[in-house]
Amino acid sequence: MSVAEEPAPCSGARMGEDTTFEAVWDTPKGWRVLSSVSHRVVGRRFIYTGFVFFLIAGVLALLVRTQLIVPGNDFLDLETYNQVFTMHGTLMMFLFAIPILEGFAVYLIPLMLGARDLIFPRLGQFGYYCYLFGGIIVLSSFLFDAAPDGGWFMYVPLSTTDFTPDISADFWLIGITFAEIASVTAAVELITAILCARAPGMSLAKMPIFAWYILITAFMIAIGFPPLIIGSILLEAERLLGLPFFDPLAGGDPLLWQHLFWLFGHPEVYIIFLPAAGMVATMLPTFVGAPLFGYGFAVAAVVSMGFISFGLWAHHMFATGLPILSLSLFSAASTMVAVPTGVQIFCFIATLASGRPRLTTPMLFILGFLAIFVLGGLTGVMLASVPFNWQAHDSYFVVAHLHYVLIGGMVFPLFGAFYYWAPHFSGRMLSERLGRWVFWLMFIGFNTTFLLMHLTGLRGMPRRIATYPEGIGWDRLNMLSSIGSYILAAGVALFVYDVFRSLRRGPLAPRNPWGAATLEWLYPPVTPGFNFHGIPPVHSREPLWDQPELLEREAHEVDGLMHGLRDGRRETLGCDPVTGAPLYILRLPHPTWVPMIAAAGLALMFGATLASVYWLCALGGVIALAAFAVWAWEPSDSGVERDVGMGTTLPVNLVDRRSHTHVGIVGTMLVLMALFASLIFGLLYLWNTQPQIAATMAAPLAVPSGLAGIAGLAVALFGQFTRHFALQGRTGRAALLAQLTAIAALLSGASLGWALLPVDPRATAFGATLWAIAGFVAINLCVVVFWALFNAARKLAGRVGPGQSLPDFNLATFAKGTGLMVIISAAFCLAGTLGGAAQ
Amino acid sequence: MSPIRRSLLCVIGPGIVWAVHFTTVYALISAACAPRDLIDYPGLLLSGGLATVFALGLCLLPVLCPPRAGPPELIRAAFWSGLIFSLAVLANAGALVFFQSCGG
Repeated sequence: MSVAEEPAPCSGARMGEDTTFEAVWDTPKGWRVLSSVSHRVVGRRFIYTGFVFFLIAGVLALLVRTQLIVPGNDFLDLETYNQVFTMHGTLMMFLFAIPILEGFAVYLIPLMLGARDLIFPRLGQFGYYCYLFGGIIVLSSFLFDAAPDGGWFMYVPLSTTDFTPDISADFWLIGITFAEIASVTAAVELITAILCARAPGMSLAKMPIFAWYILITAFMIAIGFPPLIIGSILLEAERLLGLPFFDPLAGGDPLLWQHLFWLFGHPEVYIIFLPAAGMVATMLPTFVGAPLFGYGFAVAAVVSMGFISFGLWAHHMFATGLPILSLSLFSAASTMVAVPTGVQIFCFIATLASGRPRLTTPMLFILGFLAIFVLGGLTGVMLASVPFNWQAHDSYFVVAHLHYVLIGGMVFPLFGAFYYWAPHFSGRMLSERLGRWVFWLMFIGFNTTFLLMHLTGLRGMPRRIATYPEGIGWDRLNMLSSIGSYILAAGVALFVYDVFRSLRRGPLAPRNPWGAATLEWLYPPVTPGFNFHGIPPVHSREPLWDQPELLEREAHEVDGLMHGLRDGRRETLGCDPVTGAPLYILRLPHPTWVPMIAAAGLALMFGATLASVYWLCALGGVIALAAFAVWAWEPSDSGVERDVGMGTTLPVNLVDRRSHTHVGIVGTMLVLMALFASLIFGLLYLWNTQPQIAATMAAPLAVPSGLAGIAGLAVALFGQFTRHFALQGRTGRAALLAQLTAIAALLSGASLGWALLPVDPRATAFGATLWAIAGFVAINLCVVVFWALFNAARKLAGRVGPGQSLPDFNLATFAKGTGLMVIISAAFCLAGTLGGAAQ
Repeated sequence: MSPIRRSLLCVIGPGIVWAVHFTTVYALISAACAPRDLIDYPGLLLSGGLATVFALGLCLLPVLCPPRAGPPELIRAAFWSGLIFSLAVLANAGALVFFQSCGG
């Protein structure tokens, strides 16, 4: 095998201080561990933090059940009860379910795909701290006796200043929006990692099935979270600035909030379910001893669920008075989603039937998942039927259904995953004996709690009531449900005990303790921080089963690309997104504090907004911007070639559409376009449902609207020309064009603002939405200006070498997307003008 | 286009067609049934019907003319994706067939 033993002199390449592989990848010691960017560290942090939130939310659930254990109970007062159930739902949905699953994805995906780390490690650290700080903001509301009490969905008008004058709703809106940054950044990071950093030969058809589940989930997060982010920002703007987005008297509509919330909320159920199902699809073959049945069926099912789950949102709004035709459309989609779900379940059952399953603890949780989730799915089909939905709406039947889906579909697989992947976290196995106790306590406790709730709901008990009179048929059912919840909690407590017990007394885990097929078991479970000395070529979806040479030698001796390549840098392989062919060397950042400082700056900004201390808010923004600038100011290594072994020479970085940074930019544009589309949806919705009030809005100015459109086109064109000249190596011209891009962006933002001058954003919701669109576009234009000038400055400072045109390549894509947003916004303004305001 | 890219497109394509069809039907219903009353019911039926026929044709492509080369798993996935989304397009259109007005 040909490998470069010593760093070769090569222009533009930065060398590290230590060329030892282990030293380069070592996790920083002491308090500097907080600066770690490794996917292993960040993934674990997501998982541990998520589990803490799960425990807190679980305690809140026990408070709810204790309050309802007998009729007429006064264990909690009404206000506290509202806070408790609101925070239970909020913590479970936003701060536990999605982050912990993303944590597993962040931890496992590089290991399974044959990568040494995620592609954007700093983004991972930044996301984690946003999540942590956002979660702390939400939780701290208890300290100020201002915990949100409007339900985890924050419906308006209840959450507007008229009905919630204190800052409890602000805690929810600001904290959750901040924490959601983590989900969105993780989505972009995972999409890019899965598409751009796989082992040689791992085409999309040879990816472990878990990667397909995570890929689709990440796309769903990128499209599904923006409507809620926009909704939260609009509601906060209404509360803070008096903009009437949801005020019917000014042409707003409370139902717009429900649309935006559930456009996120329903896909979220699948965003939670799919990674957990991916875990099942990964664990099941291990214990059956046979590959997953119907890989192709499962891929089709996952893709189908990813799409169809976006067509179900209004089934949460069946009782709001939508037209019957709309109800039928959403009812049909809600029923249809059962088809791919069923395909997936049948794949699992067929896999079970294809071997002799070992009844280990993870396997018990998988069986528990199948039983519970199928029941939850069936009641879901019942609720998709409009007449039944009207009967069961807002009753405990729905509570039972959603817990069957979420606990069955996510918590049971998650606990199975804890037992399965525990060696990765401690190097030790959890107890099989205690694990069985944990499973049976949780299974019995869960069904005692929630199976009975179907009946409680059918007997008419509404959700969210703090107490109830005796003698109407709810007493015994509630008593049994509460007892069941204590049994369920005992199971969780026993699991926590098992974890701490195993840290000292658990048996040490051998290499590949379960006899699994996927690459995360190639090394002994706990390594100092690195993944692969050499990245092995992969010929199968079950490499550890089908390529015995991988387990014949010590892991660090396994042949692979980059084995022995010593640049003193953290590096992994970049690949073709579809075929998995190695294309380039990806250089990754070393531990740094910068992302944490950026997140802390944002936390200061959000926290100061809550406290209405606006100078502090500005200071936080400045800190965050400065940190982002330092983050971006990094010399490029593009243009260098290295021998990576096995007769292969690869360049560092790739100036191409397949480059990881370009794929990341496309992922970011997807998120931004979804944000923009959410605003456009809001505009069209208000225009369509509130025609009389929309018509009273003053028309935008025609000439500036047209100018904005032309300038938007110029942004896109100049961005593209900058790319063109940068690729040709004409640095001077590229710098000039970058400056023109910035000027065009400034002009288009100014024109858009000028066009909207006659429109009073406080007078009508329609006008406020137009201003919100302009504001959003303006933020993107600011990014274009900053980026373009930044690129130009790098060139003028002589920091750009030949072939280092990736920043310009990426800017062109961003500028085209932003230019498109400007043109669409200008078109809406012009339509308002030509059509006589909003008539 | 390489066989693997073609089969991948056949897996994802029907989903995109379904999404466009769903959005179209939702937009048409909103145009016909909201206070602004942009189109009448026969117009809704006609345009919805045309969109359905078009979408169904596209979704059925991977079912009737499956990709000839490429990884067998993805070819199978393309077949099932086409089938599932064809059913889903029909389900979207069902609302238009079974009712005579916005109110049912």
